[in-house]
Amino acid sequence: MSDLPAIERIAAVSAVGITSLPPDHEKLYDKIRSSVHSFSTEVDVNGEEIYFFVLENTATGAIIGTSGIAASAGFHDRFYSYRNEIIVHASQELKVSNKIHALHLCHDLTGLSLLTSFYIDPAYAHSKWPQLLSRARLLFMAEFPQRFADKLAAENPGLCDENGNSPFWNAVGRRFFSMEYPQAEQLSGGRSKTFIAELMPQYPIYVPLLPADAQLAIGQLHPVADLPFSILLDEGFEADTYIDIFDGGPTVEARLQTLRTIQTNRRLCVKISKDDASNRTALDYLVASTSTDTFRATIAQAVIDGDALVMTPGAASVMQLTDGDSVRAAPLGTYTSLGATSNVSPSSGASSSANAGWNS
Amino acid sequence: MNATLMIVRPIAAADLGALFQLASKAGVGLTTLPANEALLKQRIDASLASFAGTAEPADQIFVFVMEEAETVSEHGRERKKNKIVGICAIAAAVGLRQPWYSYRVGQVVHASQELGIFTQTPTLFLSNDHTGHSELCSLFLDSEYRVGKNGSMLSKCRFLFIAQFRALFAKKMIAELRGVSDAEGKSPFWESLGRHFFSMDFKDADYLTGIGKKSFVAELMPKHPLYSSFLTPAAQAVIGQTHELTRPAQAMLEAEGFRYEGHVDIFDAGPAVECDVGDIDAVVKSRLFTADVGPEAGSDAGSTAKSEQPKINYLVASTSLDHFRVLLVRASPSGELLRLSAVQAAALGIKSGDSIRGVPLSPKDRVAS
Repeated sequence: MSDLPAIERIAAVSAVGITSLPPDHEKLYDKIRSSVHSFSTEVDVNGEEIYFFVLENTATGAIIGTSGIAASAGFHDRFYSYRNEIIVHASQELKVSNKIHALHLCHDLTGLSLLTSFYIDPAYAHSKWPQLLSRARLLFMAEFPQRFADKLAAENPGLCDENGNSPFWNAVGRRFFSMEYPQAEQLSGGRSKTFIAELMPQYPIYVPLLPADAQLAIGQLHPVADLPFSILLDEGFEADTYIDIFDGGPTVEARLQTLRTIQTNRRLCVKISKDDASNRTALDYLVASTSTDTFRATIAQAVIDGDALVMTPGAASVMQLTDGDSVRAAPLGTYTSLGATSNVSPSSGASSSANAGWNS
Repeated sequence: MNATLMIVRPIAAADLGALFQLASKAGVGLTTLPANEALLKQRIDASLASFAGTAEPADQIFVFVMEEAETVSEHGRERKKNKIVGICAIAAAVGLRQPWYSYRVGQVVHASQELGIFTQTPTLFLSNDHTGHSELCSLFLDSEYRVGKNGSMLSKCRFLFIAQFRALFAKKMIAELRGVSDAEGKSPFWESLGRHFFSMDFKDADYLTGIGKKSFVAELMPKHPLYSSFLTPAAQAVIGQTHELTRPAQAMLEAEGFRYEGHVDIFDAGPAVECDVGDIDAVVKSRLFTADVGPEAGSDAGSTAKSEQPKINYLVASTSLDHFRVLLVRASPSGELLRLSAVQAAALGIKSGDSIRGVPLSPKDRVAS
């Protein structure tokens, strides 16, 4: 729970659209508690667990970002999205063939694991740390596949103006609720979205009947989420099929095994060596430990030597690793900007204060 | 002296040319009377087969024409001049060859006590609900003849036919009324809905309907239920509304017991009105009389001699299928007898003592039989 005040600050500034971070003390408290519980529980089949990670600047001890995973979307109930569909209206007799874009309310993504709660302090946006914050989740999933579904999805905020007015909501949801979008968002934050979804139109929506601004908002990302969205697209997530039922934002999905981090990561043994790890062939790796409740991930310069990941003593100590420990590592890939140093760990419970520092 | 008589009779093969001329005057909105000679011939053939009893029930359509029969005296000789001035028809059963589509106007309620939300949203469901019903259709009267009781006679003559030959028809009768469109034939409903699915003007879609391709067009229309609140306000406003020029026809049908029950046309959202055949006022209150052919009957002058009830407008029809004729006469039947003049009897093709069916033209003149 020691992370709660920092997470509350993040929730307060995060944009409308990140419903998984409601600016509500009680809800965040519950979220952290259930995350702590999820990390410490043996799981055979993915269920209602949520895993909540924080990005910590180990130089300052500041929490500068959050990310999360819901093990099973819509657990206990349904997870609603609109599916983009093309209905072909054709007549041979009249020699006409029209493709009509329609939105079907569906439960397709129910039971998938959801990537949620991504937020990073804007000061770190142009660094490699967003990569860590987002992709550490995938290394966690690679290590503990039984805790997750084999398919993933992630919701992304759709277009809205500075007052939170969403053109898609105004054309669709508003007709069925008589309330503004931010209000509806708040109602759904922290509680089952199903509750709201059941009030939404159940029949397909013919897109040509919607006003132009609502049509344009379908599948359009809010610019505020460009960064996490681009990380997911680079991983191999697909954005064409599903959209959020409230604001029309793109919901991406992918099979876990096809993702770049999953395909390129390896399970290796730690070998601590100051010389090898700092030599010229060293690359930036996403490195994650293989325990659940002391899970840590960071970006470190390292060299792969057979089945060994050769790390510097400094990097190993941030990760609380010693020679011979198992880790998962995936190449970071190329990045232009650099920021402060950080690592990702489960958001901590009251008794867990172990956040090792790591100095660049 | 020139004498004219309006008579309704089954259409004949020789009427094709006259019918084509009439159809050319009908214009947008009368989908069942397209100015297309081949189709009109088909329609006539279908009617002939229906009267002859050789058509399957699914194909049966009984088409009638209103004819002005004028007797002209020239150089001491009488000559008959006949002119087709109107048409009407009854289809025995719709939608049994090609699907019959209409939108059912409904609503969905989205409510949550916990959120304090209660919204009613109107919907349109594509339906085939009218499949198998009989339909009053193809009513058209030459604009020069839209005077007096002609319109009323042309429309209601069908009820005598239905009453006389109930077995030919379904339990339920429907009639589609033309929806709202402007002087250029633009329908707000079509502009908001159909146009998105079918890039053509309403009058073109309407024409396709008339030439028997409505189901093809319908197959291009949205199949899923529609939230009408997604349509333009102008389109929402005309759902179930009748075209200004068709309102008298609607009032006439409503006076006979027809009601709008929430079905509208898929193109212009004009209402379909419906009624159980057994509840149509003119059908229920029509009855059989014995023709009493005599001098001066059928005109108001005849009533002055006796202290009878005042004469009223009566629709009278012969009772044979292959020689069905309808006239509008002035009469005050007493008991089983209904008095007709020799000219009227000749027009109906009956003689004194024959059975005829009659009903007062106006519902307010009718009494329960």
